[in-house]
Amino acid sequence: MKSTLLRPFLLLACATAPCLFGESKSVPSAAQPINLATGEWDNIVNIQVSTLTPDYREPWNAGQPGGGSGTGWLVGKNRFVTNAHVVSDGTRLIIRSTSDSEPHPARVVAVAHDCDLALVEAIDEKDFDHLKPLEVGGIPDLNTEVSVIGYPIGGERISVTRGVVSRIDFQPYSHTGVDSHLTIQVDAAINPGNSGGPVLQDGKVVGVAFQAYSGRVAQNVGYMIPTPIIKRFLKDVEDGKYDHYVDFAISDFPVENPAQRKALGLPNDGIGVMVADVEPIGSAADVLKEGDVLRALDGNPVLSNGLMKVDGQLIDKNEVIERKFAGEKVSIDLIRDGKPMKTEMTLKRFTPYVTLGEQHDKRPRYLVYAGLVFQPMDRNLVDAYQLRDPVVSYVFDNYLSKKIYVERPDVVILTNVLADDVNSYVQSLAPSIVDEVNGVKIKTMNDLKDALKAKGSKPDFIEIKLFEKGRPLILKRQLAEEAHPQIMKNYRITEDSYLGE
Amino acid sequence: MKTLLTLLALGFVISASAQERRVERPTTRPGARPTGTIAPIIDPDARPVPREAVLRNDSLLKVNVTYQGYAPHIPWQKESPGQRRGLGVFIDGNRVLVTGQLVADATYIELELADSGQKLPAKVAAVDYEANLAVLVSNVNETRSKAFLGGLKPMQLETKSRIGDNLNIWQLGRVGDLIVTNLKLSKVLTSQYVVEGSRFLVYEGQGIVRSEGNSFTVPIVKGGRLAGLLLNYDSKNQLTTVLPAPIIEHFLKDIADGQNDGFPSLGIEFQNTMDEQFRDYLGLKGEQGGMFVSAVSKGGSAEALGLKKGDIVLSLNGFAIDARGDYEDPDYGRLSMSHIVRGRAYVGDEMEVKVLRDGKTETLKGKLKRKAPDEYLVRPYLFDKGPNYLVAGGLVFQELTRPYLAAYGDRGGAQLARLQWVVNHPEDYEKAGRRKLVFLSGALPTPSTQGYDRVSWIIVDKVNGQAINDLKDLEAALKQPKDGLHTIELEDGPKRLYLDAIQAERDNLALLGGAYRIGELKRIE
Repeated sequence: MKSTLLRPFLLLACATAPCLFGESKSVPSAAQPINLATGEWDNIVNIQVSTLTPDYREPWNAGQPGGGSGTGWLVGKNRFVTNAHVVSDGTRLIIRSTSDSEPHPARVVAVAHDCDLALVEAIDEKDFDHLKPLEVGGIPDLNTEVSVIGYPIGGERISVTRGVVSRIDFQPYSHTGVDSHLTIQVDAAINPGNSGGPVLQDGKVVGVAFQAYSGRVAQNVGYMIPTPIIKRFLKDVEDGKYDHYVDFAISDFPVENPAQRKALGLPNDGIGVMVADVEPIGSAADVLKEGDVLRALDGNPVLSNGLMKVDGQLIDKNEVIERKFAGEKVSIDLIRDGKPMKTEMTLKRFTPYVTLGEQHDKRPRYLVYAGLVFQPMDRNLVDAYQLRDPVVSYVFDNYLSKKIYVERPDVVILTNVLADDVNSYVQSLAPSIVDEVNGVKIKTMNDLKDALKAKGSKPDFIEIKLFEKGRPLILKRQLAEEAHPQIMKNYRITEDSYLGE
Repeated sequence: MKTLLTLLALGFVISASAQERRVERPTTRPGARPTGTIAPIIDPDARPVPREAVLRNDSLLKVNVTYQGYAPHIPWQKESPGQRRGLGVFIDGNRVLVTGQLVADATYIELELADSGQKLPAKVAAVDYEANLAVLVSNVNETRSKAFLGGLKPMQLETKSRIGDNLNIWQLGRVGDLIVTNLKLSKVLTSQYVVEGSRFLVYEGQGIVRSEGNSFTVPIVKGGRLAGLLLNYDSKNQLTTVLPAPIIEHFLKDIADGQNDGFPSLGIEFQNTMDEQFRDYLGLKGEQGGMFVSAVSKGGSAEALGLKKGDIVLSLNGFAIDARGDYEDPDYGRLSMSHIVRGRAYVGDEMEVKVLRDGKTETLKGKLKRKAPDEYLVRPYLFDKGPNYLVAGGLVFQELTRPYLAAYGDRGGAQLARLQWVVNHPEDYEKAGRRKLVFLSGALPTPSTQGYDRVSWIIVDKVNGQAINDLKDLEAALKQPKDGLHTIELEDGPKRLYLDAIQAERDNLALLGGAYRIGELKRIE
């Protein structure tokens, strides 16, 4: 797990506790005692996970074995909700409840990395038949009391902490680092191992504890995923697969300047944000233009600072589409060239941004040729190599803003050169971004594989054009072909490449 | 989409620190390489070494400089003044030779006789910040200067130092006593001086440089003649880098006609051809040398000569270039080919370049030139005058310079990294006809800039429909608002800003002499 200020809370320990079974009752809201002997909270379980974390520097290896533990809760027949980060890269899952020492093997049914939720089931579906699922509630009011239940650090058995709802706001989800959703902040202690556990109010689940600031940064700032997100996830995976969030895929700019309002033909009513950028393959591609002013979404006015009133709260306007699914529509009131218009947009997912965030449950792609290691650029790779090369950093930072993804869905990087006689003069060229190989422009890893076989203007040579390196990387084809098998053997690489499913 | 919005907003927050005020002070760091900021070169905290017998000297004097640079981010304002103390070498023509660093951004210069403490106001007669050299002359009437300079003896240059020579480092003590330490010349190479793009000949030697109060312009002497000036001292390794007499001679010859043409440059980037497979690919045979030209800068000598990317330079003015990019210098042995152009030639000299192009040898001929700092899209350095800027209704526009970027270091985040990128990749902007890169550096809080506070570090494309190739264009374009509005088109989000023309004019007037003490709304020089 990467160390960030805002960290998902997965515990590296596990708890089991023998207890008697019983009927699940609603959890009391005030400080009432809980008798675990009655089986209360047996439906809140500990999930122990063994993991294999991919090694992006040695992408041909299986990865780094590890493990952790989090919390889950029963939402339906043999269905446990937990965080995606609890089960990510898992190889073995074990569920235990408070009053049952038995380890129950389990598996992931569905995982949503973009909202850090997952659904887990026991492999033997009869194991938890006797338990009653928890009920999912709504959004709790500010300053009302909640309890966080789970298996956090500090002991083996189930734990409960209590606090109030401190804030309801959009926040980035640290599991990927690039997704933001509605989040509820609570001041109840949330600690490693609480991840995936329920936050209860009046016996109903009002959120899933998932991240918090470390005590070095802020005190008593914990976050839970609120129920609109949980409900959306559960609905999405009803068909057995997860379809992800949809996006506007635009950037906007507040319209608070009087001259700007005048230029855009807006009345002075504090309503409207300007579209500053439209992603050419996103939902808004053929619907919105730069300079358009969004006035209302589904009839709900967008304030000039980008907020809108949803369920009585001022929330980011994106909340309108947060609750929708791929293929659904949103109606838009806008002003274009000073004229009011109405239009409709069909929502879809926008995938290029995923590259900029942490990815999980994914085997790293690579290709090795004559000791040259090629890998597609993404956050995992940049982090693993601690890439600070100015060219790579520039392309990474501007992958979206300069629309680099349109031309190059994969930015292929020569990450490393495994030293050998054949490549001894080109080792200093890594890291660099590959532009062309044998005259073929490299847009994906698969292009690279084909291009290495292609014959360029000088068929006896392999000519690799790199970004900003001034000179091409040249290998004599015959020497490279001859050296390749021995290099693979020396560095114990069993497969030339893994290019994805 | 949340992600995009968050990222964008974050960018703006970070860039808001453009308003932060920062004062760069010269720092003294043993072993520090010169980086473009003006800093003394000797560690004053170093332990003193025993003194030698007291000697006297009649060619050295003390030079005291008060300097004051402009604040890159508040370009109408100067930073707090500072002092530099150094030595000067008295040379022919009643002139005093000093390093360029000593007099950069000077507001007042005085010469001081080391033993008597007598002082004389001086001014810069010529300066070359690339070669890091300047000559000073008296700034007062002849009677007073004669009385002051009369007792001094001009020092002559010694341009024939060779590897293995024993040289002396001359410094002055508190009362003008001459302190001599030894320096053995061990290496001759080319290396960057102080400002960007100033790669010239240097001597390297081993020897201890004493820490004295006057650390600028320390003379290196051979047989009583000036062999060079101290450029840099690395106290940890006792490694001394010397600005050598041949470069001083070049500078003095250049300015002899009263005009400073500077040092010529070729204006190419090149790569060695030592990689055997690459050599085969290029068609280089056997031991044949040559440098692979990887880039040709716009407006430089190489472009005028007709050099192209992909050429292999085989010889320069008859000197064969090897696969490493070195040639056999008659005086110093193997040396980087850049010295043939930068050190051995003058602006206007003929240059003959033999290249291998498409397998054939071609000879290119032409005159050498110097690309002046002002001819760069992004000015490499800026001394003695303020950065260009223009304030419109509170929006602050500037022309991008390297010192501006250097003042932030790597604290600027992604938005500033975009501007940094342009410095090394000016081609597309140059092709588009840009002379300077005009960018919005920030917004002062006025009624006109309401809602724009977080916008900064974005390149300006057009204003009121007109392309902006420098600040003059911007000034002209702002005279033509449409329907009472200025439209400012930017390269990146938010892409467009608007100003009410009348309100902007009103805000301009309020800014003049207002809280921000803006004396002038623009500087376009």
